[in-house]
Amino acid sequence: MTDTPAAHPTDPFDPEAVNAAEGLDPVDPAYAKVLRVATALNLIPLAIGASLFDWLLIRHIEGPYGLITALAWLIAIVMIISFPARRVQRWGYRIGDGQLRVARGWLFRTDTIVPFVRVQHIDVGQGPVERAFGLSHLIVHTSGTHNSTVTLPGLPADLAAAMRETIRRHIQTDFA
Amino acid sequence: MTDAAAVQAAPLPDDAADWQRLHPATLALAIVKLGPRSFQFLPAVAALGFTGNWGYIVPAILAFLLISLVAAWFQWLRFRFRVGDDEVVIESGVLARQHRTIPFDRIQDVSIEQGLVARALGIARVGFETGAGGKENDASLDAIGLDAAQALRTTIRAHRSGEAAAPAAADTPDAAPASDDRLLFAMTPRQLLVAGLFNFSLAALAVVGAAMQFFDDLLPFDFNVFNPHDWIDLAGQYGLDQWVIAHRWIAGVGAGISLLFIGFASGIATMMFANWDFRLTREPRTLRRTRGLTTRTDVAVPVKRVQAAILITGWFRQRFGWHELRLQSLASDGEKERDHQVVPFARLDAIDPVLAEVAIARPDAATAWQQSHRIIALGGLVGALGATTGGLVAVAFGQALGWFGPAIGALIAAASLFGVRFHRWTDLGEQVAIRRGFWKPKLTLLPHASVQSVDLKTDFIQRPLGLATLVFGVPGGSSLATHEIPAIPLATAHDLRARILAARARA
Repeated sequence: MTDTPAAHPTDPFDPEAVNAAEGLDPVDPAYAKVLRVATALNLIPLAIGASLFDWLLIRHIEGPYGLITALAWLIAIVMIISFPARRVQRWGYRIGDGQLRVARGWLFRTDTIVPFVRVQHIDVGQGPVERAFGLSHLIVHTSGTHNSTVTLPGLPADLAAAMRETIRRHIQTDFA
Repeated sequence: MTDAAAVQAAPLPDDAADWQRLHPATLALAIVKLGPRSFQFLPAVAALGFTGNWGYIVPAILAFLLISLVAAWFQWLRFRFRVGDDEVVIESGVLARQHRTIPFDRIQDVSIEQGLVARALGIARVGFETGAGGKENDASLDAIGLDAAQALRTTIRAHRSGEAAAPAAADTPDAAPASDDRLLFAMTPRQLLVAGLFNFSLAALAVVGAAMQFFDDLLPFDFNVFNPHDWIDLAGQYGLDQWVIAHRWIAGVGAGISLLFIGFASGIATMMFANWDFRLTREPRTLRRTRGLTTRTDVAVPVKRVQAAILITGWFRQRFGWHELRLQSLASDGEKERDHQVVPFARLDAIDPVLAEVAIARPDAATAWQQSHRIIALGGLVGALGATTGGLVAVAFGQALGWFGPAIGALIAAASLFGVRFHRWTDLGEQVAIRRGFWKPKLTLLPHASVQSVDLKTDFIQRPLGLATLVFGVPGGSSLATHEIPAIPLATAHDLRARILAARARA
């Protein structure tokens, strides 16, 4: 973060302010737990791999045994504990005015708008981890090569279904 | 309900009779295709050789050929298609059968392609353009007789135009389209020659150069056009060596001239082979393009499916007013190109009528253009810094070639700083025009109605400067070359995004 926060009307370290300033709704905070589990499932095997590498190779060539193991687990734990909550707070969405708006990220922030009439088809998906926390994700397909799928994660399952119905009605009225 | 049942029952009796197979020459094509495929077999041959089993090589190759031919024959035997009253049915697959029905209504157009071998055999490959996403979703008939292919296309086209016109006019389907077909653009051999001269290609030069180096020992003559010593040797044979050594620049000029010759020759050759007898015709629903010297292709771009127009030129040919026009459509143009090249080389007054057919206007000279912020040079500058650092590190380790790093870095930096000025855009009311590039200026004309989604991107560099990048989701085209307007003021970006999304879908 080398940028100067003053240049922006909101404090970049206050994610609530980001969404509010852009008129976006936050996703469900429970999505942080989903992300945490997903991150853990990705990083823990990597950390185990690094530990094995350390134990099998570095120890035998009399290198600094233990350094890689410690670093790998430290990075994994920091990323599992602190990052997901922050990433979740940078997701935002807005549904209305005949369009779906999805914003994500901070360092590289992308704010996508898909008009309902441009939607080809809609998926509501739920992975096993999401199911455990009662969440779903909404995937909107457009015919554009760029942004052919726009994903909005971290929605309560009933809200995702309601959003799907809203968008579906708009598609129908357009062709009527 | 009873009527529908009767209609469905009717085609059943002649079901078996109407099925057609591909042309038997498909097998000949399969043999031709074996050429490249036999490379897969090389490791096995090498393995046999290394293990000393030389005696097995010839039987193994024969077995490979035989199995491939039998496989091709089985595929030919199990592939059949039927052209019904309003649909094409294709059945294929040796073990896993695939049955595909394509209603005529869904066929946007029929493309016909003929390679060199296919032309000798009088057959053609027919592709059905359905507009389904993905190349693999479009059906094709690999080889049927050329006349059968053209008849098939006429059938489908007549069906479509009959449906478009009043049903009463269906008995005269041939008369109406014929009057509507008109030639929009064609290239004479003379134009092709001019285009080829501008097509001077250093890339081909590099390939020839590399090949010369590589095959230096294999060539039947011991002469490398890139080697000045060879020119001196050549002069020596005519007793000129003393004179040439005294005037070394002659050898340099000789090498230079041959370089130029190869560059021009390859440019002309590629242009001639690709665009020989180029014709672009306007048909009732499509723009139809036929071209090619050895491989003749016949491709149709449905006018309603055109999403954007791209005008490409070069820094040098621009001075003579030469441009190339490509149309971005849902379908891709062959296997390599994503966009359809509809005018390979022409002046703007010849391009404008084509653009008018797809209802896209070119901004006139009076248009006020807005520039992207200079910050977009940053990427190039970071790259330049990387090259410089890498080079200097190499120099520090005693590798003199490392000096190329800073030199290339300076070039990249200068090019990116210079190129920034050519990133411009303007909103023409119903379409956005985006211009970029100095070396190869590219003008994208993107109708608002083609835009399916808009990304407004900022990052930690653009945000403090109050800038944003707009990225448009447009059907068709390459996923690598997205349409974007980089680094424009945030308020302008928001405003433009709202205006573009307000547009209705293209009719």
